Amino acid sequence: MSVRHERVLAALELKEPDRVPTMDLMLEYANIYEILGKRPLPLGFLYSNPYAVRVMDWVFPRLNQSFGVDYSMNAFTYDRTAASVKMGYDSAWVIHVPIYRFFDTKRAYDIYGRAYDVTLDGKGNLGTPMYREGLISNPDDWRAWDKRDILRMPEKNNRAYRRVQRDFGDRLFIFGSFSGGLFEITWQCMGFQRYSVAVRKERKFVESMIRFYTDLYCLMLEAMADAGLPGVLYTDDLAYRSGPMFNPRTYEELFGDSYRRITETAHALGMKIAIHSCGNVYQLLEWFCDCGFDGVHALEPTAGMELARVKELVGKRICLMGNIDVTHVLVDATREEVFAAVRQSIMDAGKGGGYILAPTNSHGGMSVQRLRWMLEAVEKHGRYLLEEDFN
Amino acid sequence: MEEYLEKVKEAVANLELDEVTPLLKEGLEAGIGAVDLLGAMSQGMVKVGELFEKEEYFLADLVLAGEMMKEGLKVLEPHLTETGVEKKGTVVLCTVKGDIHDIGKNLVGTMLTSSGFKVVDLGVDVSEDKVVEAVRSHSAGAVGLSVLLTTMVNSIGDVVSALKSAGLRDQVKIAIGGACTTQELADRMGVDAVGKDAVEAVRIFSSWFN
Repeated sequence: MSVRHERVLAALELKEPDRVPTMDLMLEYANIYEILGKRPLPLGFLYSNPYAVRVMDWVFPRLNQSFGVDYSMNAFTYDRTAASVKMGYDSAWVIHVPIYRFFDTKRAYDIYGRAYDVTLDGKGNLGTPMYREGLISNPDDWRAWDKRDILRMPEKNNRAYRRVQRDFGDRLFIFGSFSGGLFEITWQCMGFQRYSVAVRKERKFVESMIRFYTDLYCLMLEAMADAGLPGVLYTDDLAYRSGPMFNPRTYEELFGDSYRRITETAHALGMKIAIHSCGNVYQLLEWFCDCGFDGVHALEPTAGMELARVKELVGKRICLMGNIDVTHVLVDATREEVFAAVRQSIMDAGKGGGYILAPTNSHGGMSVQRLRWMLEAVEKHGRYLLEEDFN
Repeated sequence: MEEYLEKVKEAVANLELDEVTPLLKEGLEAGIGAVDLLGAMSQGMVKVGELFEKEEYFLADLVLAGEMMKEGLKVLEPHLTETGVEKKGTVVLCTVKGDIHDIGKNLVGTMLTSSGFKVVDLGVDVSEDKVVEAVRSHSAGAVGLSVLLTTMVNSIGDVVSALKSAGLRDQVKIAIGGACTTQELADRMGVDAVGKDAVEAVRIFSSWFN
């Protein structure tokens, strides 16, 4: 087992590694290409040419019928992992999402029934698609939805993860991923307003979707374990900036059994599993522990998450991950500010182990230079014994 | 009548989805004024807001309450037009250019409407020119800008600059809200307030129009 693996594993097991481990969340083509020194495809620039757009409007929906989308997502997953290794991270959240399909150059949807606007990052690349609305609003829509591509996900994941694990697994602790958690996927395919009503009035419909995806995710875990991945980051945005979106009791009723089944499956397969949720999750922290997650990620400062307080509340039960701000610190802060933020997070959560330092999220405005400073700062401040242990 | 209005208020406050519309229809048929019924619904929404602040209700509950308000307003609006209810003030709302997230914005719109404001909702991905045009044509006193994406925060500054260029900045207050907004961002962009949720948004706009 490599030092990086040992480091990450120790933190996830709430032990003290040789230094605070790091995790990468990079999702944006521009940064990945910058790190790898690759030239992006000029796809984004073609959008400014009306003739090219007309041709692409014809071509894009036809890519849905071919392996075009899958191929580009496999390439993305590979490049994205290579970039993490090149940067020197200890671990990375590696997504593999061959889920997008195009209506045309401006609008896309995914195999789970979510519609998006296609976005550009201004640097010649397609950006992360921007969620617009759901395409499944009632049980009839759900029954009629073509699920064949969804059911192929475990096999597709297995192939892509097997490749990155083979080529990079000895240098990086790779966290696999689903394409959104049970809450996120079920509300987004019908829209939040509609979902809020459905949870009240059509509970059985909502539960039938959750059951379907729980079974699917357990199969995806089997596929990831078979590919050799040591961990999974289960991403489910359950909260927003001032608290959970639903009553925590409702979360337990809807998702408690499924979450426990998912974590038990991961553990039975020898994998670690952490949960990512944006927003203010104070009211959910104990529940995450009770559900069996090994780590909790994001802990966004902008949502009021104070790392020292989280450490005090649940630091003995779950590994804390994230907390480095992506609205200022990793966007336009000075070197001193980046070092100060990293040092503060390590002082707040690093003592005794059980902390993996990482950005809270990923977006196109993040600066590669500041990510490098972040990693430098971890080398400086994150070696155990920590500075505070000397005080 | 007081007892009946109390029932409407409680139905809204308790999020009794299927009860409010029939209650309003019955009330109108019984000769209770639309303004009184709207007042009872608004009081119910105030209670919802209080329960939200006490962390007994959550975002989804606000959305449910908002849906009830929308349904209720459909019943009451024809009667309200007849009586010509005076609004507290006009607020132009939108999600900024480059961003299409609208849960928070919609919620703020519903809460403001139920609190007696005229809301001009411009939708999502709205350019600064459209905001200026709406402020001018509706003589709005305030603007609410929603932004979720960190990459789009500069669109807030674009709106502020456009309002300044149009000579309208001094006559409107601007509030921002959304996942990536902070007081530091509000200061940097030159806006007047930042709200953490829809309940706080109502408080902010109310303070400006009182």
